[in-house]
Amino acid sequence: MTTMAEKGEHRYILNMGPQHPSTHGVLRVILEMEGEYVMDPQPVLGYGHRMHEKMAESRPWPNFLPNAARMDYLSALIYNHGYVGVVERLAGIEATPRAEYIRVITSELNRLQSHLLWLGVLVLDLGAFTPIMYTFEDREKILDILEDVTGSRLTYCYMRVGGVVRDIDDKFVERTREYISWQRSRMPMYDKLVTGNIIFRKRIEKIGEFNPDMARRYGLTGPVLRGTGIPYDIRRAEPYSVYPEFDFEIPTETTGDCMAAYLVRVREIEQSLRILEQALDKLPAGPAMAKVPKKLKLPAGDACYAVESPRGELVYHLTGDGSDTPYRMKIRVPSFSNLSLLPELCRGMLLSDLCACMGSLDLVIPEIDR
Amino acid sequence: MESKDSVIAAFKKIPVKVEEVDFAQRGYHLEIRLESSQLRAFAELLRTGNFYLSYVSGLHLTTGIDVSYQFANYGFPCRLLAHVSADADNSLPTIADIFQGANWHERETKDFYGVIFRNHPNLKPLLLAEDMEDLKPLLKKEQALKDRAAITRVEKIAEDKPAPAVKKEDA
Repeated sequence: MTTMAEKGEHRYILNMGPQHPSTHGVLRVILEMEGEYVMDPQPVLGYGHRMHEKMAESRPWPNFLPNAARMDYLSALIYNHGYVGVVERLAGIEATPRAEYIRVITSELNRLQSHLLWLGVLVLDLGAFTPIMYTFEDREKILDILEDVTGSRLTYCYMRVGGVVRDIDDKFVERTREYISWQRSRMPMYDKLVTGNIIFRKRIEKIGEFNPDMARRYGLTGPVLRGTGIPYDIRRAEPYSVYPEFDFEIPTETTGDCMAAYLVRVREIEQSLRILEQALDKLPAGPAMAKVPKKLKLPAGDACYAVESPRGELVYHLTGDGSDTPYRMKIRVPSFSNLSLLPELCRGMLLSDLCACMGSLDLVIPEIDR
Repeated sequence: MESKDSVIAAFKKIPVKVEEVDFAQRGYHLEIRLESSQLRAFAELLRTGNFYLSYVSGLHLTTGIDVSYQFANYGFPCRLLAHVSADADNSLPTIADIFQGANWHERETKDFYGVIFRNHPNLKPLLLAEDMEDLKPLLKKEQALKDRAAITRVEKIAEDKPAPAVKKEDA
């Protein structure tokens, strides 16, 4: 980095974070400013680095199950799903049909609560305090439903190789159905309260120019990518679990700004509700856990398992060597690649617009740091 | 490059070794072995298609560090995993000027394995602290090191059982 003297004295450095309300975690961004304009934002990572990949290599594979929930705390079940998926794929085990449905149902509930939190928090970052109270009311309902079946409210450790740890009951199905109609009844309110709000629109419209070429260069995935017009969703592109059995759309927008990412996410809420409805209707009977050898060794070889997290593509790449401990496990997290384009995206932007961009990326920092 | 077959055909021009693998078992479609001198040409070729870089990662073997690059395609299902062995001085050419997303992934690989990416614009520690540069946490101890054969899938011996290595012990 060149010194300030070389660049002219009017430039100054502003530290955003590591403790900052709109970074949502311990992220630090070193901003080189010129007045109110950000000339060079450089994210500094690693404040929450725990080396999950090393932990995976140093203990038998079942002991990593709780770790999977502690990377992205907003989509713990989807991280569960990816991890059991990769072990099953490598070991050649199949989960029972009922378990696959339960995995999809709980994953979609998890995705919904992540999107609801994002909706409240994005608007909060932009200065409107009220909507988060409403989205948290909805989110509480999901957490209550999930707590009953999984035993926790945030860092779930619910899925096992071969199935899920506890079957869902009629009460769960009934409450989820009640929740679906509740959430549908709330969406017109959000439309009026947030989407149609002129101040909100002015803060995010034409802010952040994501485009397909930038997406290819940086490996952008998730709703932000779909906001540039590319209908790429792992659930559809490389279908896993029982997703091919459901009828749902991949919402896209073409403008590629923060508003597009916003609209895509809000429309994804409806699509998740549709998947939930169909999954509850089709839920097969049978055991929620397959017969799996008690001491399962990972065969030599490698396997990947990609899932769609609320933030984009999550990939587990597991390499086994015939023992019960993985030889190597790489975890590709979506926010890592999504954040890496920040310096290019936000160069020359107003400081307040940088907050809008980071809010649209829906960053979860412990996931980036791992 | 509109389909998986045209991608394979394009690879033949470099030329690189391509193997089609079973997606249901492996989770990706093409496995590729590259020489380090082919890496940049390989990345430049993918840049002309609808590919994005998913991640860069490493693997410590008795022969040295094996760096893997995973790419996937926005248009059609084609996930590919390319392996490159790091050169004798534990370095590889950077692809951060072709796929800018590689910048952070390469810094991470340098953090964890100490692989130097030649001509990288900013190879400072990313996830580790500045004073932990020599830690290289994912390098294995000598007694834990395995060779490539030990982590290679045993190909189907009998056609009827796709995963022969699953053993039942006191089930």
